Amino acid sequence: MLLLALALLCNLAAAALTITIPPSTHLPNPHVLPATTHATLTTLPSTNQDHILTASLTRSSTLVFRNIPSGNPESYLLDIRSSEFMFAPYRVDVAADGSILGIWETFRGNPWDNRGAEKYVVDVAGKRSADVVVEAKVLGRKGFYEERAKFSPLSLVKNPMILLAIVALVFTLGMPKLMENSMCPMPNSPSRESGLDVLIAHCAVDPEMRAEFEQQQRSSPLGGATSNAMAGGGFDLAGWMAGTAPGPMANAEGARGGATGRDAGGAARRRG
Amino acid sequence: MRLQAALFVAACVSPAAAIYPDEVNQIDFHHALLGAPSFDSTFFLKPSSASNASLLYTISENSILGAINPRDGALVWRHNISRPAGGAGLLRGLDGNNAVVGAAGDYISSWGAQDGKLIWETQFDGGSVADIELLEMEDATAASGVRDTIALIAGKSFGTVRRFDGDSGAVKWEYIDDSGDVPFQVSSSPTEIFYISLQSGLLKSSKVKITSLDPVTGQQVRQHILNTEGDITGPESVLFVGANSASPLIAWTDKSQKTLKVNVIGTKRVSSVTIDNTSGEEIQEITVHAPHKLSSLPHFLVHYKTESGAWAEVYHVDLKSAVVSKAYHLPYLQGQSVIATSNIDANVYFTRISDLEAVVVSSASHGILGRWDMDAPSSDRSVAAVTEVVSKGKSVAVRSVILRKSGDWQLIRNGQVEWTRPESLIDAVAATWAEVEEQEELAHELEVEGHESLLGAYIHRVKRHARDLQHLPQWLQELPQRIISSILADEVTNLDSFGVSKPVIVATNSGRVYSLDTGRQGAVIWSTQAAEKPWDVKNIYARAGVVTIDSGDGSSVVVNASTGAIVSRSAQQGPKLQSIVNFEGHDGSSPVRLGLLGVQEDGSPVAPFDDITGFLVTTSADGRVLGWVESDNKTPVWEFVPPSGQKIVKATARPAHDPVASIGKVLGNRSVLYKYLNSNLVLVTAVNEKEHVAGFYLLDGVSGKVLHSISQAGVDPLQPIASVVSENWFAYSFFGDVVGDSSAKGYQLAVSELFESSIPNDRGPLDAAGNYSSLHRTGNSLPLPHVVSQSFMIAEPISHMAVTQTRQGITTRQLLCTLSSSNSIVAIPRPVLDPRRPVDRDPTSAEAEEGLFRYVPFLDFDGRWYLTHSRDVTGIKNVLSRPTLLESTSLILAYGGDVFGTRATPSQAFDVLGKSFSKLQLVLTVVALAIGVAFLAPITRKKQVNMLWRAT
Repeated sequence: MLLLALALLCNLAAAALTITIPPSTHLPNPHVLPATTHATLTTLPSTNQDHILTASLTRSSTLVFRNIPSGNPESYLLDIRSSEFMFAPYRVDVAADGSILGIWETFRGNPWDNRGAEKYVVDVAGKRSADVVVEAKVLGRKGFYEERAKFSPLSLVKNPMILLAIVALVFTLGMPKLMENSMCPMPNSPSRESGLDVLIAHCAVDPEMRAEFEQQQRSSPLGGATSNAMAGGGFDLAGWMAGTAPGPMANAEGARGGATGRDAGGAARRRG
Repeated sequence: MRLQAALFVAACVSPAAAIYPDEVNQIDFHHALLGAPSFDSTFFLKPSSASNASLLYTISENSILGAINPRDGALVWRHNISRPAGGAGLLRGLDGNNAVVGAAGDYISSWGAQDGKLIWETQFDGGSVADIELLEMEDATAASGVRDTIALIAGKSFGTVRRFDGDSGAVKWEYIDDSGDVPFQVSSSPTEIFYISLQSGLLKSSKVKITSLDPVTGQQVRQHILNTEGDITGPESVLFVGANSASPLIAWTDKSQKTLKVNVIGTKRVSSVTIDNTSGEEIQEITVHAPHKLSSLPHFLVHYKTESGAWAEVYHVDLKSAVVSKAYHLPYLQGQSVIATSNIDANVYFTRISDLEAVVVSSASHGILGRWDMDAPSSDRSVAAVTEVVSKGKSVAVRSVILRKSGDWQLIRNGQVEWTRPESLIDAVAATWAEVEEQEELAHELEVEGHESLLGAYIHRVKRHARDLQHLPQWLQELPQRIISSILADEVTNLDSFGVSKPVIVATNSGRVYSLDTGRQGAVIWSTQAAEKPWDVKNIYARAGVVTIDSGDGSSVVVNASTGAIVSRSAQQGPKLQSIVNFEGHDGSSPVRLGLLGVQEDGSPVAPFDDITGFLVTTSADGRVLGWVESDNKTPVWEFVPPSGQKIVKATARPAHDPVASIGKVLGNRSVLYKYLNSNLVLVTAVNEKEHVAGFYLLDGVSGKVLHSISQAGVDPLQPIASVVSENWFAYSFFGDVVGDSSAKGYQLAVSELFESSIPNDRGPLDAAGNYSSLHRTGNSLPLPHVVSQSFMIAEPISHMAVTQTRQGITTRQLLCTLSSSNSIVAIPRPVLDPRRPVDRDPTSAEAEEGLFRYVPFLDFDGRWYLTHSRDVTGIKNVLSRPTLLESTSLILAYGGDVFGTRATPSQAFDVLGKSFSKLQLVLTVVALAIGVAFLAPITRKKQVNMLWRAT
């Protein structure tokens, strides 16, 4: 009676499979794995036995399967599941007595016989070790969230549209200033005649060239368009905000063709 | 490498419909549940000797053990240790020991108290755990902080006491009692371990046998029997067996409940105390409360409950003589009250929580140390309480957890309710979204206008608008606030009026009905006990302002959706029903209920349904699929029987609301593949358990004609086989084993799409026909579909499948898969599951234009497809989807274990200004532009004037 009770209650010291989770690039500290991390051994049952075995994560970041059922040789699929990390699936072959014959990496969506790297294989010649230890392989980490683009003034400046606008602004405001500055202060002054050479060297643009430039600018459709756009509000703000109309610079550029009529009008007015 | 390739492809294709971190808890809610806590296994515990903050540990009736943060009621960790063998769960813990030990059925496990990771586990063949205790005393040999476990295992004819090592779970010693006594409990004193068993005597009465064991060797030291004959009839008549106190007690009463008998375990003396019942009512319940700490004072409290009130008496035990003497008593109070014990060092405190107040007394004297008025009493009766007392100089602060009869529990700190956990939601069996009443009113008014004469309708409308004007002042008052808040607030545009945050009505198996506010993290709006005993809910249906719940015995309850008041009840009638059919029609976009019909166990409708135009497909208990017409409820018009050996496990149809936006699929070369659209599709799953074959049969529901069938070999019939049908496609999933040389082992997801013809711009036999008939063989009979299928290997089992529903079906659909092993719900975009993906070659430019990309056998779930993101949503049995007024958005509700709700936007929220649209940025840009214009305008004007002058 006593012996029977003992036999009934005692756990059979069958082979144990221990999977350790080593630190890796994806998972530098395996202790951050949540408590829900678990491993399963799955196969189609040849008999109606408990055929899905589960092991929970231990404090030492290992997963231990005790009491692998014996009776029939089985080929198990070993999966390790954690909410955020993905692990490589393994193939675990078990002999009829419940001892482990071999463990290989396997590839999902590939034939079962297509085995990958060998993790463990039983030493036929030597004595059978009951406990098998293999290392799990972390494949990657799942990203659950979408990053939301943050508003920052710097990113606004990085925007090529804004950069173009700033350059344009610098040109419209800065060029006339530059022109005026570059104009020699008193080219006709007799008292400074002796220093003319210096002045010419100093001046970026000589007066003739400047006059020519001004003439050109006056007749240029770009200048006209810009001035029109500035004065008449030809820039479609709402459209630009909606992204349907091109930006201010593009508008100005686009207006090159269309603005000629206006410009002509302006010329007529000037003539009158 | 393969995986990376798969990931890359998936990333390219999937519309990024992932959740943003700032939307968590705004668009979704989650009740992480344990189930009704078992009150003798619920306690506060400091998870490590270093930390001062304690966590709340419990094991529920569902054998889920977990840790709760007492500050906010959030779940820290949990484990389901339920066993098929069943049995009540037990949980023990000790302060300063970083482990809690839980047991259920034939399984004992020790878990890290802080992080919930496994320390050791063990399982027995035969026998179940009757009791466990943690040894508080420390061995000289053992490392500090690790306590051993004593377990009592009750076998069929013997009891075993075992001592497990705290670190490894190794058995240190074992004591076997094969005397045939009923193993009852274990208890320990500083020097001994007591094994208490019940020795059956004459006339059903039992004697208590106490065996003292040596804690180091497990040898029997002595044994004695208490003479309890006549008083104790079984384990239930022993009131209390004191655990781990300095003087462990065993207490019982005589049959007439006149005297209380107490024995200090280890001594032979039985003290009798007369019960002083002055209430004049019969005592209903006697509970004994004693401290569980080894070093605490040997005081205990006995709580007597009658029908209308309760009182308590405090006793002291003389350690030397083992004499029990009465110290003082807590007066009789009307109403419900519960007692809890807590310790500060050696001092013992009793907290009495009644309807009106919470009182803390010391065990040494009756002086009240703290008193707090309670919030409004709950209709849900309190069953037990667990408290933690903190002394602040002379006064004390207390936080108590009250366990309610419904299974819900709440934490009360100094009289204030801090949180409530609706644990009874764990056995939710049916759920729906409530329909709000106001919109119905407007619809009704509009209907009136529609039916009146032109002038009458006009007058009615003017009147209605005039009536609406009374809300104008209020609206104007709110206007500035609304504008400011809409610009400054971090909130997304308020979408409540689009039916996005409807309350959810959940019915649980225990007869309770809950309403959850989806807009406020699923907070309970109301809860009511709609049925006294567990009911077999078959159908839940919401219409304007009320929710009707029909149960399998033919009774039904109508509940007001906004208050929870029970509007009406109908009594039980008719035979037991297998299911209840809800006939729904569609009037525009709103569903209209046509009728309700019960289906009996044999698959036949209870009555003919002449008043409803339609047909019915049912499954019978003996594994057939039957088709019925309106007029006949006796003989089915057709019958589908699977091949011999196969058993029907599931039948699914297209969802009631499944609009199709386009009847064809436009290919890259601008030709069209016409979809095979049949609203009467039924997908039947049948398995052959012996040969491991699963058959999937696509039937036409009107004629019963088999349109398509698939047979899969090597299928595990015991693992979940999920299936779903929508639009012109269906999907199913199973575990497949190796059947041939080239086959793989693992979970598979197969998807099939139905077309009218394999040739673009061709409708096959239908050609230009506008109609077809399922019944007539001549003319336009129902053609067979052209089926394109592809299957994928997946990493996990899918336990349930559903499809997102949107208002008009324009939005891409997502396949909602419940992943039972990783506790999450994943929404796979349909384009990924397109069975026309090119195999073994890259897509041509025309195919690429269509959005097709190369087929990869392994389908890896992208992290961004997870609707549950990092949440741990366990035990889901059903997932519902429902359209909103926004085409982009579909509401999702999952229940069965945890309750989880979210909004899915399969094609992104294209009709909503999301959070990324910053109103403030828009305003600032406009202001900046205005400043720019104001600054530049004078300059330009000056320039133009100058130019005019210079030109002339």
